[in-house]
Amino acid sequence: MENKEVILSVKNLRQHFPIDGGGLFKKTIGYIRAVDGISFDVYKGETVGIVGESGCGKSTTVRSIAQLYKPTTGQVIFHGVDLCTADKDTLLKERRNIQMIFQDPYASLDPRMTVRNIILEPLRIYNKRNLLDKNYTEEELDEKVKDLMEKVGINKAFVNRYPHEFSGGQRQRIGIARALALNPEIILADEPVSALDVSIQAQILNLISDIQKEMGVTFIFIAHDLGVIQHISHRVIVMYLGKIMEISSSDELYSNPLHPYTQALLSAAPIPDPKLERTRQRIVLEGDVPSPDKERHCCYFYDRCSKRMDKCACAVPPMFDCGNNHHVACFLYDDKPVAEPADDTPTEGELKLRKKTENKAEN
Amino acid sequence: MALFRKKEIATNEFNQVIVGTSLTKEAWKRLKKNKLAVVGGVIVIIYTLIALCASLLPIYPYDEAITVHRNLRPSLTKTAGDLMLEQEMKNLFFQAWRQGRLELSDEEDAQIEAWVMESKTNQVWDLVYARGMEALEAGSFEWNSSEQSRIDRMLNNIETETQITIDKVSVVYEGKTMNIEDMSYEELRGLYASLLGVDENTLEESLVNEVRSAVSNELRSKDSTLSGEDLDSSVEMEMDALGEDGIHDRASTNIIGYIEQIAQRSANSDIQAMIDSGSMTFPYEGTFDLSNGLHVELEVTKMHERRYIFGTDYLGRDLLSRIIYGSQVSIAVGIVGTVTSIFIGILVGSLAGYLGGKVDYYLMRFVDIMYGLPYMLLVIICMAIFGRQIVNLFFALALVSWLTIARMVRGQIMSLKNQEYVEAARSMGAGTMHIIFKHMIPNSLSIIIVYSTIRIPAFIMQESFLSFLGLGVQAPYASWGSLIGDAVSSMALYPYKLIIPSIVMVIFLFSMNFLGDGLRDAFDPQTKNQL
Amino acid sequence: MSSFKDANVLLEVKDLRTHFKTDNGILKAVDGVSFTVHEGETVGLVGESGCGKSVTNLSIMRLVPSPPGKIVGGEVLYRGTDIMKLSEKELRNIRGNKISMIFQDPMTSLNPYLRISTQMIETIRLHQNMTKQEARERAITMLKLVGIPSAESRIDCYPHQFSGGMRQRVMIAMALSCNADLLIADEPTTALDVTIQAQILELIKKITEQLKTAVILITHDLGVVAGMCDKVCVMYAGRIVESALTDDLYASPAHPYTKGLIASVPKMDGNREERLFSIEGQPPNVIDLPPCCPFHPRCNRTCEVCRHAYPPVKQVGEDHYVACWLACSEEERKGALEGAENNGK
Repeated sequence: MENKEVILSVKNLRQHFPIDGGGLFKKTIGYIRAVDGISFDVYKGETVGIVGESGCGKSTTVRSIAQLYKPTTGQVIFHGVDLCTADKDTLLKERRNIQMIFQDPYASLDPRMTVRNIILEPLRIYNKRNLLDKNYTEEELDEKVKDLMEKVGINKAFVNRYPHEFSGGQRQRIGIARALALNPEIILADEPVSALDVSIQAQILNLISDIQKEMGVTFIFIAHDLGVIQHISHRVIVMYLGKIMEISSSDELYSNPLHPYTQALLSAAPIPDPKLERTRQRIVLEGDVPSPDKERHCCYFYDRCSKRMDKCACAVPPMFDCGNNHHVACFLYDDKPVAEPADDTPTEGELKLRKKTENKAEN
Repeated sequence: MALFRKKEIATNEFNQVIVGTSLTKEAWKRLKKNKLAVVGGVIVIIYTLIALCASLLPIYPYDEAITVHRNLRPSLTKTAGDLMLEQEMKNLFFQAWRQGRLELSDEEDAQIEAWVMESKTNQVWDLVYARGMEALEAGSFEWNSSEQSRIDRMLNNIETETQITIDKVSVVYEGKTMNIEDMSYEELRGLYASLLGVDENTLEESLVNEVRSAVSNELRSKDSTLSGEDLDSSVEMEMDALGEDGIHDRASTNIIGYIEQIAQRSANSDIQAMIDSGSMTFPYEGTFDLSNGLHVELEVTKMHERRYIFGTDYLGRDLLSRIIYGSQVSIAVGIVGTVTSIFIGILVGSLAGYLGGKVDYYLMRFVDIMYGLPYMLLVIICMAIFGRQIVNLFFALALVSWLTIARMVRGQIMSLKNQEYVEAARSMGAGTMHIIFKHMIPNSLSIIIVYSTIRIPAFIMQESFLSFLGLGVQAPYASWGSLIGDAVSSMALYPYKLIIPSIVMVIFLFSMNFLGDGLRDAFDPQTKNQL
Repeated sequence: MSSFKDANVLLEVKDLRTHFKTDNGILKAVDGVSFTVHEGETVGLVGESGCGKSVTNLSIMRLVPSPPGKIVGGEVLYRGTDIMKLSEKELRNIRGNKISMIFQDPMTSLNPYLRISTQMIETIRLHQNMTKQEARERAITMLKLVGIPSAESRIDCYPHQFSGGMRQRVMIAMALSCNADLLIADEPTTALDVTIQAQILELIKKITEQLKTAVILITHDLGVVAGMCDKVCVMYAGRIVESALTDDLYASPAHPYTKGLIASVPKMDGNREERLFSIEGQPPNVIDLPPCCPFHPRCNRTCEVCRHAYPPVKQVGEDHYVACWLACSEEERKGALEGAENNGK
């Protein structure tokens, strides 16, 4: 992958959501640190899988990349442009190449729109602002819809149907057609198969890999199912509590998981083979994912880790380079070179909040 | 688009035809299943049609007051004349009973005394009338001469009194036959001058003076403190504001009225002659060519042959026609008020809901403050400031009633804002307006529709309440509320005046509520049994 | 794996049919389901969403919302008594006492306004003759059993003070607090994360072994079934298409649907470059299905008879039954085809 062109680069991205206190004047009393300083590169034509438990910030990450939320700090560099600071027009122009597929096929399609209008919506938006290579007429748009429907495998006769007439798998196909309408370079897929049944899930996974082969689209693919991630991705990012725990190529990660969290995750996943299931040893993690509402100056996984050391409680582990493009944020590997230093400088909002509490304490 | 959708046949893997439906179609299907809602809908449509076509219906004008037809009770079979006679005889019998000429049993005497004490006039009248008629037939009672002459006079009036309605007055003017209503001011002035035989300039002057005094009267009725120079100057200002055309318009209206009067006076003798000779059959419609060159088309009806199935009010106006014209006002208030408040509500609600943050905070605090104000008081103040006109009533009601809709739309939009399809639209680069108009409003429309059907009765109630208090529509216009309000004072004597408009109103409100309920169940079946 | 053949039959479902009346026609959610559960056995009901697995379980408890649903036929024998014929009062005695349920969403199946203690004590006292104090002690023991730390104090918390995994533990404690013989777990881990799912599954397994409770585990996840169940029933379009001991089922699936289902799970040791095996098409809408094998449009081994008649259930191994024409002999297929054609005429 080294020689490949970097298409998207995320640098020290943080996404903090303010928690409003009650009272007449809404005061910020803290932050939910949904994504707390992550950096990674995405290469052209590959699929990057992001895996983690719910609340680990994987959905927030892709939404921040798509600029659905304004990131608190950090950069999302696409085509040399930092999307976080880009002005509205540039953003609109660049965003054409970043499209999303959503998790819930029932909620992600407007129930009052026909399939045709759903698929055409992005085209219409860009057509109206003359941001496409040419101005499409209604007939050309019709043609385009038929093409897209064929590509994702939906009967063209259903063009004027409403989403509620389709099953989950078909709806997800419509969602994919919509994402493909603008010929994007990157598709951010937010758990596109986790709401689907196994047999349908396989269809959609196959469809996505077909699209990638055919059109060379880069995917950032989120799932909580490790099997799905293993199947679809070239590289995998393991996230926990808004931090990246481990980045590696897919094969490497599954054959040689380094981070204790990854190891636990892999051992917890059920395998559809009764003999294997009975014999293997599970690492059952204690407790639940803690709430991401406070600042941490220790390893984020410290509370649940089975291999925690005193060192882990004192500092946030940096990314260690374990060779073979395998990076892991764990002090177990502190003999390895540091790939990327840990960064826990507080954000502006937090500094303000801290000052306020200090003032209060003084008074 | 949807209307011209091509018919396509799609089958599933079992070769079964799948028929496409939209959410709206399914809602419609569900609505049709709800019998009560359908009946409600039909009644609402009938009411609306009747209100819309009021001017085409064969009913008496709602503002035509026939003094002798005051307070006639509703009757399907009896004419106005019969009812007048009956009423007169009731009075006479009662007087006769008082004078002791009409003799009743002791129990009945006591009963009547008791009724009189309780002011149950209707019972007294009915009883003396029934007994009186029996006595009259049996020959044990006779009218005295003055009573007999009153009855005879009334019978004669009923037989002979006619009413002349002028449909059209035309004149041969410069070789052409013209309807006077189509004539210009100059032509009218010329015609009128020649009819009166006066100089046109003198006429002009007196016409302008007439308009001026009318304006002056209007101003004084608006503000009774005006007098002297203040009044003169305001009259002049008003006249200037009218301008020459305005003055001429008003003058033309006056002239048309005068010419019609002249025409009727001239025709009167001919009509009387025809009635006397017995050659007129009623109702009579005909054209009279008058000696002064006017041609008048008119209708002659026997005044006392009218039938008032809902009775008449205290001025002798037909209650049926007043209820129908009143429903125009009431339904219009309901619809216009709802539509206006929905517009304001959607605008404010969707902005607050979608933009959120500070905008939302301040808009909603404003709504809260508005909520805190006593809204009826606001309406009353508005009506007092801007004058008691129907338009102002609409305006005042709409002004205070968008609050709930704004809150509802805001809530709806806030819940839709986090839907994935809205996020999807944003990820495509859709703008705020696009999202609000393409996604959020269509998806909250069903709830808005349901809510507005439930709102319409509320508006009608508010308007009725205001009219009942005398702050709503002003005479000669009517609304359900003002009819009920007028009837309250004579509730004991003429209960029908209260009961009939109330029933009409209640039926409409019931139907509207059933329709609203049905719509709600149809549009979101999940909330059924909840609200 | 031990077979439960010798154990007593605890629950026997025979030809259960539950239909729903909808605007578009009769929805045959469950259409002739039969299976047995022995004492202490864990039976898995697997299938895609809409295949009728949840309705089957509601029907067993007679909890199908009616209208629109109605149990139109079949028997559910609990230790020999037919649940379908019991009075409402007798039924309440079984529900929650002998057979208890846990649901998919631990967030909604606890009343948010009541303390855990109130809810648990109420349930226990409803079925068992205990004083409040005894019931409370019993509840605490159960909470300890399901691994809630400092159960004595946490029993007085409200549900929202627990995390999702903890709530599911509380649900399990509640379900088992009356010594139920049978626990029906309807997708107990679908709403949970992988690591929490592992905890909960481990817990169910341990605790039911300890209490000798039989379990009907309803899930769509073949991985969960593999680790948990002794016997598996695969459902499709309201019917059981294959039932077998877990090992047999995974080693030699007989129905093309089962085969496809197992093959389409992405495996962590699988080769990434390969295409996943997928069952094409969509699960059928079970309204007005014609008489045919409902799986035939998606099946890769369809033959003529599949389009015209529903296959009979055939035994293909010890405790291994399958409803597929492929398991039938040539004569049977021919006979059925002719019969269907005659019927058609």
